[in-house]
Amino acid sequence: MNRLLNIDRRIIFLFVFAGVVIPLLWSFNLPVKPTPTVQAIYDTVEAVAQKNGRVLIAFDYGPSLVAELRPMALALLRHCFRRGVKVVGITLHPEGVGMAQDAFETVSKEFSREYGRDYAFMGFKPGGGAFILNMGQDFQATLPKDSRGNDTRAMEITKDIRSLKDFDYVVDLAGSAVTEIWIAYGQERYRFPMASGCTAVMAPDMFPFLQAGQLNGMMGGLAGAAEYETLAGASDAATRNMTPQSVVHLVILTFILFGNLVYFLGRRAP
Amino acid sequence: MRRDTILFVGFVALFAAVNAYLLSVGKVQGDWAGFGVIVAAGLTLAMYSFLYRDNPTFKLAEHLYVGVVAAYQLAQYWYNNLLSDVYNPLFRPEPGKGAAWGVLIPTALGLMMLTRFVPKISPVSRISFAFFVGVGAGLSIPRTISSFLLQQIEPTFKPIWTASAGFTMASLDTFLILLGVVSVLVYFSFSIEHRGAVGGVSRVGIWFLMISFGASFGYTIMARLSLLIGRMTFLLRDWLHVQIQ
Repeated sequence: MNRLLNIDRRIIFLFVFAGVVIPLLWSFNLPVKPTPTVQAIYDTVEAVAQKNGRVLIAFDYGPSLVAELRPMALALLRHCFRRGVKVVGITLHPEGVGMAQDAFETVSKEFSREYGRDYAFMGFKPGGGAFILNMGQDFQATLPKDSRGNDTRAMEITKDIRSLKDFDYVVDLAGSAVTEIWIAYGQERYRFPMASGCTAVMAPDMFPFLQAGQLNGMMGGLAGAAEYETLAGASDAATRNMTPQSVVHLVILTFILFGNLVYFLGRRAP
Repeated sequence: MRRDTILFVGFVALFAAVNAYLLSVGKVQGDWAGFGVIVAAGLTLAMYSFLYRDNPTFKLAEHLYVGVVAAYQLAQYWYNNLLSDVYNPLFRPEPGKGAAWGVLIPTALGLMMLTRFVPKISPVSRISFAFFVGVGAGLSIPRTISSFLLQQIEPTFKPIWTASAGFTMASLDTFLILLGVVSVLVYFSFSIEHRGAVGGVSRVGIWFLMISFGASFGYTIMARLSLLIGRMTFLLRDWLHVQIQ
């Protein structure tokens, strides 16, 4: 019993490793059921598409969070481009530049979308809250050029944007407290509809903002991305990776139950 | 040789042998893209080697990561901020426009912060810090109170029961939020002794906190496993070219 209680942690790592690799090699499909918070984002993008509107996506994440947030970015962009929604990208995170460029390049090729007309990327700017407030007051003065050096006042997609209020929807993809900065300095001040695509670590922190109506939707972690892929009818990395995710969760649950069982049996033993 | 040294040399030799095989059969191209895949695979394995024990390859990968990120961020700050917002407006203004001298004020404030590195003139940096703290407080205090306090209080005081709708599932949510807020606030009220009714409510607060910590921990496990799955997908598909589902 004592040996079982002091099991080498590396044995658990091996089980977790097997739980990831085996389902990746011999996959089986598990159903993905969209939750209301993800459905809300999908429905809002559909409503924006009805009025030929524009969406602002903030790519506030770096390479360390690609596994969770890139599938969200691709699923959201695919949905927007398929429905003809124009997308402006921006980042408050210096590492987000490469992330945004990769996502736009990947999806714009799939849908043959044109830079400057269907989408644009404004690049990275520091300043956090002050920068968001400036964009709300005068978008074009704050961002006179996009990431490629084009004039914001001349580009078709941005020429009539005066304030953040001119965006029909803002979605922040982040793995840090940047979303809270967007809420405090952007959504609360300029009252645009906003959603969050966040890592699973951040998801519990976002629920109070959903409850208060400051966010109208949320995609939390890989599960949220898989739900959006399902809704958008474009199953990809997130949906595929939910199978190993579910298997490893079962492995961990088994170890938790096993550990507790051994602990209580050990206490009973003389 | 110690067992760990043998393991270390063995893994490095195995990694080299696998790459040699992949290059020889053409699964990894002998160009810069292929080199990038090999480096990424090596660094991924080096980071995960920490699960066995702290070792030199992990340290190397860790320090490389810090260095690369610092350099990448510096480049992004230069091209997206210093070059476009400071250098170009001052020294390469657009045709028909003069130099934007106004840029000199924030630039000077920024440069004054760097005087911290020279002890003799470091007090100059206080002007910049005073400006920074003043503006920061002015911007953040009203926004924080509005967004994180007032807007959060509102849903806590929604009616649990209404004459038109009665008691619904949404009412249960509202009741639980109210109960959670009140009981956790009581738990953190240390000026009252937690006995009797106060102690009971405080105990309910502990339960709410425990459930909240459990939910956060569960989500954290999910997040970390997603990252592991991402790296495993890269190793199997992009490096080893194994067919994954």
